[in-house]
Amino acid sequence: MNEIDKLTDTEIKSNFYSKFLYSTLFNLRLILKNLKHRKKSAIIIALGLIFSLTILFSSSIWVHTSQKIIADDYIETLDYEMYINTFLPNAMNEVYDYLSDDSVVRQVDWQYVTYALFNFENKEQNYTVFPESEQDDLEDPISLTNAIIVPTRAIERIKLNLEIEGNASLNSGEIMVSYSEAKELEKTYKKTITPGEIITVAITRRIPNTDIGEDELRFFDIDETTYYNYTISGIFKYTGTDGIIDKLIGAKGAGNIVDSVLFPMEDLTYEDLYIFETNGLLPKLLVKTDAEKLRTGNIETMPDNLLALKERIEINYYHTFCRILKHEIETMANEYKRTFSSAALFIPAIAAALILTVLATQMTIKRRGKEIALLRSRGASSVQIIGIFFSEYSIIGIFSLLVSFGLSIITAAAFPLIAGGKSITAYNLSRFMQYLDISAYEIEIFSIIVLGIYLGVTFVNIVSFVKKDVQEVLLITRKGQRILSLGVNIAVFVLVFVGFILLLIEFRNVFDPFDTYGFDSIERSSMVLLAFMGVIFFICYYISMGIVLLLQKTPKVYRLIFKNRGFFIYHNIKRKTKTLTELTFFLILIISLLTFLISIRSITETNIELENNYRNGSDIRVQTTVPINISEYNERFSKIEGIEDTLGFYSLRATIGTQDVEVFGVDPLKYLSVGNWIEHSFQNTTVEEALTALEETLDGLIISDYTANRLRLSIGRHMFITDFKGGPFSLPLLITGIISSAPGLGVAHGNDPKMVKSADEYVLVNQEILQSIGVENGSLFLLSVGKNVDIDQIIEQIQSISPLLIVNPEKINPNYIGYFITKYIPHVSVTLMLGIIVLSFVAIVYIMISTDFILNQRRKEYAVLLALGGKQTKIRGLVIGEILVFVVSAILIGVPVGLLTALSSLSFIKPLLIPREIVPIVFEPGILMLLVAIFSLILASLITIIPLIRKQTKFEIVHELRITE
Amino acid sequence: MADVFISVNNLKHTFTSKVENLTVLRGVSFQIEKGEIVCLLGRSGSGKTTTLNLLAGLDKPTGGEIIVNGKNITQWSTEKLHAFRLKTTGVIFQEFYLLEHLTAIESVMTPMILADDKEELAKERALELLKAVGLGDKTMNYPDELSTGQKQRVSVARAIANNPSFIIADEPTGTLDSKTGDGIMKLLLRLIKKYDMTMLYTTHDPYVAKLANRVLILHQGKVFEEKEVDPISFDYDNFEQLYRPKGDKA
Ligand SMILES: Nc1ncnc2c1ncn2[C@@H]1O[C@H](COP(=O)(O)OP(=O)(O)OP(=O)(O)O)[C@@H](O)[C@H]1O
Ligand SMILES: [Mg+2]
Repeated sequence: MNEIDKLTDTEIKSNFYSKFLYSTLFNLRLILKNLKHRKKSAIIIALGLIFSLTILFSSSIWVHTSQKIIADDYIETLDYEMYINTFLPNAMNEVYDYLSDDSVVRQVDWQYVTYALFNFENKEQNYTVFPESEQDDLEDPISLTNAIIVPTRAIERIKLNLEIEGNASLNSGEIMVSYSEAKELEKTYKKTITPGEIITVAITRRIPNTDIGEDELRFFDIDETTYYNYTISGIFKYTGTDGIIDKLIGAKGAGNIVDSVLFPMEDLTYEDLYIFETNGLLPKLLVKTDAEKLRTGNIETMPDNLLALKERIEINYYHTFCRILKHEIETMANEYKRTFSSAALFIPAIAAALILTVLATQMTIKRRGKEIALLRSRGASSVQIIGIFFSEYSIIGIFSLLVSFGLSIITAAAFPLIAGGKSITAYNLSRFMQYLDISAYEIEIFSIIVLGIYLGVTFVNIVSFVKKDVQEVLLITRKGQRILSLGVNIAVFVLVFVGFILLLIEFRNVFDPFDTYGFDSIERSSMVLLAFMGVIFFICYYISMGIVLLLQKTPKVYRLIFKNRGFFIYHNIKRKTKTLTELTFFLILIISLLTFLISIRSITETNIELENNYRNGSDIRVQTTVPINISEYNERFSKIEGIEDTLGFYSLRATIGTQDVEVFGVDPLKYLSVGNWIEHSFQNTTVEEALTALEETLDGLIISDYTANRLRLSIGRHMFITDFKGGPFSLPLLITGIISSAPGLGVAHGNDPKMVKSADEYVLVNQEILQSIGVENGSLFLLSVGKNVDIDQIIEQIQSISPLLIVNPEKINPNYIGYFITKYIPHVSVTLMLGIIVLSFVAIVYIMISTDFILNQRRKEYAVLLALGGKQTKIRGLVIGEILVFVVSAILIGVPVGLLTALSSLSFIKPLLIPREIVPIVFEPGILMLLVAIFSLILASLITIIPLIRKQTKFEIVHELRITE
Repeated sequence: MADVFISVNNLKHTFTSKVENLTVLRGVSFQIEKGEIVCLLGRSGSGKTTTLNLLAGLDKPTGGEIIVNGKNITQWSTEKLHAFRLKTTGVIFQEFYLLEHLTAIESVMTPMILADDKEELAKERALELLKAVGLGDKTMNYPDELSTGQKQRVSVARAIANNPSFIIADEPTGTLDSKTGDGIMKLLLRLIKKYDMTMLYTTHDPYVAKLANRVLILHQGKVFEEKEVDPISFDYDNFEQLYRPKGDKA
């Protein structure tokens, strides 16, 4: 017995193997033949997979590639990243050598600031120079200005801060002169000064101490080596805002560059430098880093790598003090992160495309009943059939994977094209290839996720379809199956929901609504969004089950809408619950996602517009690069017809505690009427109350909410503002308001990268206080205009007053890093728009293929109806009616769901949309775009399904009836 | 004599396909008078179903004419043919073709709804018809909950729902056992008498054939007229001979 058993066993085994081998070879041909036959469906599936994979791959590739490009390009836009100060004049050589050896450092430049003198040749050594307005010979004065001494090569970096007439060169024998000094020289020499002019300049080797009466020429220690004829290579205007030069000698530093000459250090002798040293002139070092080294790791580590460089120097050289652009680089990295993380908003589109692919696959499987019968009649077993089908779909999957990989490199290269609208030039492409960075790990993960979902669902579909055909002997009953799948469904939902809640809590912990959103909040925000999308997915599923039940229970409605046809539509909808649930589910999901993206886009756009409006401040904003006389210009502006009111901001720097502040003096009531105030401008008080209080209290003061909170100050308290620049005294003031932000000025405390701000914080006082201490100038005006006036014409008139006036600038701070980033990575509204387009497309394709599927399944039914005397048009009407029932109910449900989704997600997706909430985000559904999208969706689906219906119902009745299934 | 209701003259039909052209009807002519019950006999594949389909306007002949009530329906547009099928003819199919998702009563209602009758009225009449075919208690059953004979009864009720004057039945008893088939035929004949209709049907069953007033034989694409069939004296033994052309040896 046993022996025979064994024998038959091996026999069976060898038989099985040879059979399997044979059938695999045989099957391979069959598989390829099948693929060729089902070209259309294979192409649809492959396109869906390729789309999802390509987007994921290319985003991954572009993340890794672009951050290197962005980092390098950004560092290239900075003059330097660090300057080093010392109080030991002769100890810097060592630091210089140390830096030259540091791998992060690319270039180190010396920098000295002293004086340059012009028109001194004929003057005696005891000629009195200081103060300039009281020189000995005011008819033929010495012109005195700052000399900024840097090596020749430094001009390549410094020029980033300059707008130059002539050449940006600083070769031996050349100087560059600032615009205001050029004007000064014109007065002195009584001729126009243009580039190319030769002029005698002396670089002083000493800075006299005027406090102890060193006001004569001799105290400058001029020597013949620094006394020479120089060619003016260029005349420059200082335009720098963000950079080391600005921190050192620009608006945020000493400010000397505005009135200066740039002088080549190479023209100084060692002796001169030695005398500098002995005279106590302190050198500074300007440090340019190597972007590639600075970004080792990734873009996020740049600020810290820079900080580490600073620390290395300060630890090694106790006498040094380093200032770095950490904050700027951090802002850049943050903006980068946000812009890229906002790509998370595109994930619904990818998910929808993937689901579409899976559903399309499912439909093609269900169409293959005949094929199964045929294979079975040839003696194929279920396992073989499953094997054949599954290999077919796997081949499509693997093919798509390969194509996607190749394609994604090209699409990744095209990202900047979408983003900045730049053309792909040979330069960009070669640069892209040079920086190309592919994370094999991420590519693998994305492949596994996408192909896993696709092949997994396909496998289950094939097995259940083939099995059903073999025998109904399933391991569990149908009811059991339904209960099991519902159980799994609910369990997964609960998991996703709990995950969402946990992520939300985590997000809340790092989220600070009163500051610029940092790295953590941005990252967590995108995680919460993903989990939330999962929740929405399930909610749509449950809703669609409910809707189908409802649709099946309301026969009267159909009769009402479709009259007699309602009979058939109703009965068609009543059957085959499962397919219909899927149909409505996916439609509801897509439409709610579409609505969500549309509202989020419109919310973002509205906010950006509101914020820009708020930043601009009023109907017309006038700003200047150099402070001008407020009352004079107020008068000039108010003479222009159409301008109703003008408000100039007197301004002065001062200190609160240890904090630098900008003090703005305003006419409170004018500000109230001219400014575009918002409800949330002030804390606890209305705008009207706060400004009226300032008007009524002459020594009133409005401070920022941050300072009030930090120093525990409140309205009604007295406090001092000290250290007024230009008047070293302090003023006792009474706090009358606590402000968050103001029109035209932006946030009261902290950084708003879209504004230009000279200090970290500003305070408001009544203008009379500043006038009383002699302040006359300012560089900002807000103007209001009357109704029905031609604003463009007014702007033109203002501009004709002086070329220095910048009116309603499109970008208040053109150096805002976000503008830079979006050259490489699409701005969030572009991402959202692309998502909207993809989702609409997915919706239309879905409606198309499911219509085709349903029609194909029902050909015989329609033939019977025709045979019974039904009219073609009537039957086509039935199909359209049925599809419209689903589309319309999906719209009726999907739109509110999408709006709710947008509304409820607002609290946690802010960091993906904007850098900081300055104007409170308002819910703005984007009705117009929504209507357009929905209308075009209905229209497009009608346009695509009508030919399909025509095709599918155009058959010979007799032929269709003869086909037995 | 009685009025000629249907007159088929020199009807020809050829099926064209990529592979070959198959001529099934080569000049079929016959007439049916009003109220007559006619049976069309013929070998399998002789073209019976084809003929019936042409008469029902489901297909267009390659040649010849079909005159119903004095009108040549082969000239009609598809639209007009739809109306013709809906109002004038009732078709009973060999395979019933009941719609799976409709209950018995809904199936019977279908032609009336297609004719734009009010749903309530259609329901009333459908119930009446189902009672008439003996299915008063199965109105809410779906096709897969009905026996084959019951399905055929539903399709009979559906065929006469719109009060057609002409019934076309393609092997109405083909899939039924002889007893059930007999029952269905008797029911049909009763209804036809009751509603004053004309009928053309096909069958392979001599017992069913003998129920007709007259038998036509389709052979080699032509129709041969038989003498009026007397149900009692019908020659069962010779029935097989009908399939044989004249002069052909057995
Ligand atoms: N749509 C079609 N296309 C091609 N050939 C067809 C078509 N319909 C029928 N035929 C052919 O025409 C011939 C007649 O078919 P028909 O169905 O009319 O026969 P029948 O007499 O009804 O046979 P049965 O008694 O088996 O039902 C057959 O040879 C059939 O193969
Ligand atoms: Mg037949």
